[in-house]
Amino acid sequence: MNRLSWYLMLILLCSSGFILAQNPSKVTIKSSIHDTTNAEVPFATVMLLNPKDSTLVNYTLSDINGAFAFNNVKNIPYLLKVSHMSYLPHQQMVQVSATPVNNIGVVRVKPLSVTLMEVVVRAAKAPLRIRGDTVEYDATTFKVPPGSTVEDLLRRLPGIEVDADGNIKTQGKDVKRVYVDGKTFFGDDPKSVTKNLGAETISKVQVYDEKSEQTKLTGVDDGTKEKSMNLELKEEFKKGSFGKVTGAGGNRNNFTASDNYDRYAGRANYNRFNDKNQLSFIGYANNINQTGVNWEDYGEFKGQNTFNDYDNGDFGFGNGGMRYYSFNSDDSPLNNFDGRGFTKNLGAGSNYNYDNKKTKFNLSYFFNQTRLSLDQFTSKQTFTDSANFLNSDTLGQSNFRGNHSIASRFEKNLDSNNVIIVKANIRFSTSNSTSHEDQLYSNSESIPLNSLGMKNGTDLNSWRVTSASIFRHRFIKKGRSLAISAGYNISRSDGTDNLFSLNKFFKANTITEQIQQLKAKQNDASQFKSSLLYTEPLSKKWYWESFYNFSISNNAVNRQVQRQNTHDSSLSVFYTNDVLYNRLGTSIRYSNKGLNTSLGIAAQQLKLTGNYFPNRGETIQTDSVKRTFFNWTPNLTANYQLPHNMWLGLNYSYNIIEPQLTDLQSVPNVDNPLYRFEGNPELKPQRMHSFNLNYNYWNPASFASIGFGSDLNIYDQNIVYNQTVEVMDSLGLVTTSKPANVKGGNSFNTYIWSSYPIIKTKLTLNIYGSINTGSSPALVNNVENDTKNRGFNINIGFNITPDPKLIFNIEQGIEMNNITYSIHAEQNQKIRNYSTEAAIKWQFATKFFFESNFNYSIYRNDRFNFNRDMPIWNGSVRRILGKKNRLEMRLAAFDILNKRVYISQYGSQNYIQHTSAPTLARYFMLSATYNLRGFEDKLKKNNYW
Amino acid sequence: MTSNTNISTGLKRNLQQIFICIVLAFPVSGLAQKMEGSMRYLITHNWTKKMAAVDYLSKQQRDRVTYMWGNRSEWKEYSLMYFTPTMTKYEDSEERAEKDDEGYSWRKDVYTIRRNFEKSSIFDMIQLLGKVYIIEDTLRPQNWKILNDIKEVAGHICMNAFWDDTLKMQKVYAWFALDMPVSSGPERFCGLPGLILEVDVNDGAMVITADKIEMKPLTTEMDLPKKIKGKRIHEADYTAIMKKYMDERRAAEEPPFWGIRY
Repeated sequence: MNRLSWYLMLILLCSSGFILAQNPSKVTIKSSIHDTTNAEVPFATVMLLNPKDSTLVNYTLSDINGAFAFNNVKNIPYLLKVSHMSYLPHQQMVQVSATPVNNIGVVRVKPLSVTLMEVVVRAAKAPLRIRGDTVEYDATTFKVPPGSTVEDLLRRLPGIEVDADGNIKTQGKDVKRVYVDGKTFFGDDPKSVTKNLGAETISKVQVYDEKSEQTKLTGVDDGTKEKSMNLELKEEFKKGSFGKVTGAGGNRNNFTASDNYDRYAGRANYNRFNDKNQLSFIGYANNINQTGVNWEDYGEFKGQNTFNDYDNGDFGFGNGGMRYYSFNSDDSPLNNFDGRGFTKNLGAGSNYNYDNKKTKFNLSYFFNQTRLSLDQFTSKQTFTDSANFLNSDTLGQSNFRGNHSIASRFEKNLDSNNVIIVKANIRFSTSNSTSHEDQLYSNSESIPLNSLGMKNGTDLNSWRVTSASIFRHRFIKKGRSLAISAGYNISRSDGTDNLFSLNKFFKANTITEQIQQLKAKQNDASQFKSSLLYTEPLSKKWYWESFYNFSISNNAVNRQVQRQNTHDSSLSVFYTNDVLYNRLGTSIRYSNKGLNTSLGIAAQQLKLTGNYFPNRGETIQTDSVKRTFFNWTPNLTANYQLPHNMWLGLNYSYNIIEPQLTDLQSVPNVDNPLYRFEGNPELKPQRMHSFNLNYNYWNPASFASIGFGSDLNIYDQNIVYNQTVEVMDSLGLVTTSKPANVKGGNSFNTYIWSSYPIIKTKLTLNIYGSINTGSSPALVNNVENDTKNRGFNINIGFNITPDPKLIFNIEQGIEMNNITYSIHAEQNQKIRNYSTEAAIKWQFATKFFFESNFNYSIYRNDRFNFNRDMPIWNGSVRRILGKKNRLEMRLAAFDILNKRVYISQYGSQNYIQHTSAPTLARYFMLSATYNLRGFEDKLKKNNYW
Repeated sequence: MTSNTNISTGLKRNLQQIFICIVLAFPVSGLAQKMEGSMRYLITHNWTKKMAAVDYLSKQQRDRVTYMWGNRSEWKEYSLMYFTPTMTKYEDSEERAEKDDEGYSWRKDVYTIRRNFEKSSIFDMIQLLGKVYIIEDTLRPQNWKILNDIKEVAGHICMNAFWDDTLKMQKVYAWFALDMPVSSGPERFCGLPGLILEVDVNDGAMVITADKIEMKPLTTEMDLPKKIKGKRIHEADYTAIMKKYMDERRAAEEPPFWGIRY
């Protein structure tokens, strides 16, 4: 046995050695190519491929006689492939050769059917796939009307005949079988498939020879082959759905009497889509101060319609340049909680998008409501050139806001040069609030002057329709284009205010004044506007752009006041205000190699007409106010993309801002007897020079980036609110505010930010800093007071990722603001806010996550003796469950130290104030979320859309 | 893997012979008017498809990008190719392909790709991660697999070939002309029996299609740019820089296509 195997092995070794010795290591492979008529085929591409994976090893061309040779190639097996534009690609194996020259004999190629070539490849631009004898082509390139069957499609395919009965023939033979995705469908009759299946479901049609049914049954090849057809179904990869539902419950919060409820939060969203349609639903309800949805949910809700390009029809300087996307912010139900009080929120909506590349359509509906209960304490210090006063204010408010909004957008590409966009939005709103407010006014020695108690109830119903259409046309001449837009907006509101105030004036004898006001107010507004933009290319780099804007606005405001149950004509007014706006502008633009710069000028005219009546329908009260403002406004923009990822921008504009309607009205508004607002019909528009400079740099190799920018505004003519503060007999401290024009004033802001990876992907330093200064002169008791702001803020943070399962973030921020007053230097304020934050995200076990953040904020104002520290600590643990990770359970603790409160410090003109308001403090919540797509069992490093 | 490398070296060695063969074959053929001229390619980028091909980003993240931007994520640009039987040069065109870009000018990155088939050498001046590099080396074509489809591109019948670029995570399908025996293509693609007229990278993330072919004698078009400034490196250095960058981006879970040419 042993000996036998030795012999065998010896023989094997010898024979293999013998074979190896016989075969040369290099070989010349030669042949010539002929077609089926034995004609030589010159200039065919001949390729040697690795038979294992078809990798290209070598190639050559056949010569004028159809001959080719591969000289001195490795003597290994090859797949020889011959291709020529007039022949079906041919392939055959070339085996290892025993001789140095391997003449493989004549290679015969079959001509490619002329119909296939002309109709499929050239006319329909469809690729042909050749698999041996099978020729397959892309059915989607042959257009059939919607609703057509496969039979209709086959009638259009070259080389396939379909008779009146639906029998299919190819190359003169009957097609015996039709498969769908390789499987028999509805029995044996091919017609059952072709007559029933819709053409739009098919992506590919393959025709090939198949062994006959007889051969398949008996296993004996009778040599007959039958024509068969396979229909490949479209891969509906774009079709799908996703969604999430969350329910959460938490403990009662006993922090304040006004909000003593168990915490709850629920949220659900569901989306369905295919390649043309997107349909989504979203809904939420909570009492944890989430007044709307977050960005991520909103993006998924709006889908393809979240951002739109060219939606702005108000053409102006710089509109002809690059395209920009605008966020669809109209009535967006995004979370906008400002940090004060307690809210109960409810919202739901649906969005539908259709997009077939030529036509885009969007329709969405959203309902949202918020009920706010707020307690707020404000301390305010007001001063004049000669005195200063203190005011403490306690407000209790309950407030409801509800909106229904419907938004629609339609975009149609009429052809590649014409596009039309039509948008319309409707919104119905209702709001009501009741509040009681107690104010105590005292002089600088804290001796009370007067007190005011107010109870207000308001109701307001309103609706608004906005619409716009934009048409853009590109001319045949490259770069020449025209855009026209028109829009119509209309709104109406109707409300009542029920005001009750009790003012006590402390003197020798306390004087009490009680006022009851009932105010009915209506506001009607309509606006028509239209714009035109024309761009003419002067050369490849120079463009000339012109635009024209027109708008006409009509406003009617009716305010009828009943005081102590009798009509008070001194506070009642009906006025109309019409604004006619015209602007004609032109600019020259230069664009070349990353430099885009434009210089232009516009002439703008604003015509205001105001009429005052005692009441709607009554005769005119005073002469009409007619005012016309005309201005030239220059504009410069320059953007330069430097080499090495640097961008530099410079902008200058001269801006005119028309006075607000309420600032022009002559009849005073006295909702609060101690605060009187008087309009100024003589008011002129705000005019200012605005400069902006910015620079950005990004290093793609080190991932470091830096940017800085500066903004400077200088007012030629500003609108400010002059204040008169006086102690009036029998009333107390009364403030009167009246808008007026002043010359002068400026604001300047400069910032720098940088992100620098100290250790790539592990440790990143983030810095942000800014400096701002400003000066705003205004009259206080007829003395000019120049309020100056100077401040800076710095933020330094580190992002540390030692491991993919652990992310730390630490950040330190300082914010300082100095406010100085020219009339009262001792009132100068120094506001200081400091904050330190540390956060951790840690995946401590498979499917287990721990997240926590701690923030310590310090609010200081030495002048005001204000000193408040606020540590906020949150933490949560969550676990992903289920085979597909679809369920998430989360236990979260918010504000574990029970310290959260709303705080703000603010100083301006002739006052400084700080406000605090209770809001949600410590609570615990357990939530469960079911996600159709499943949760990821890893920490998220980045969040993008 | 090793066998592939051997094969590609073999292919490279044979390129010289083949070109001599082609040059000899052409003067006598009707098909073979002199293979010299210029060509314009239209490059269509699709941002969401580029995102979709980044396998280390979560599927949800990629799906969201597609869901929100799917139909608004394309932009187009032109590039130019000059070819003779022995040499090709490829660069970006200053011409704007995007009608809406008319009037706004972007700075083009430095990008000149020249292939010399006589000397079997490459000269590439490219911008990579903010720096200009000059790659001078011998020609190493991609390891193409030859597939079975044929179709027409810009009036030429083309065959299909595939290359899996594991370095840049790209699945590349190229269509090469059967009647234009110039072994080059757009970007850095080369090594097929005919001029590559269309390239599809990552299922439509970038599609480069020849849209204008002009046969004409060339004069100075093959010249290298007057200003040649940059760090001189070899192909292996380029691969090393690219690999390091791709690895870093993967670790940071950031898409890799800012800072490098797709």
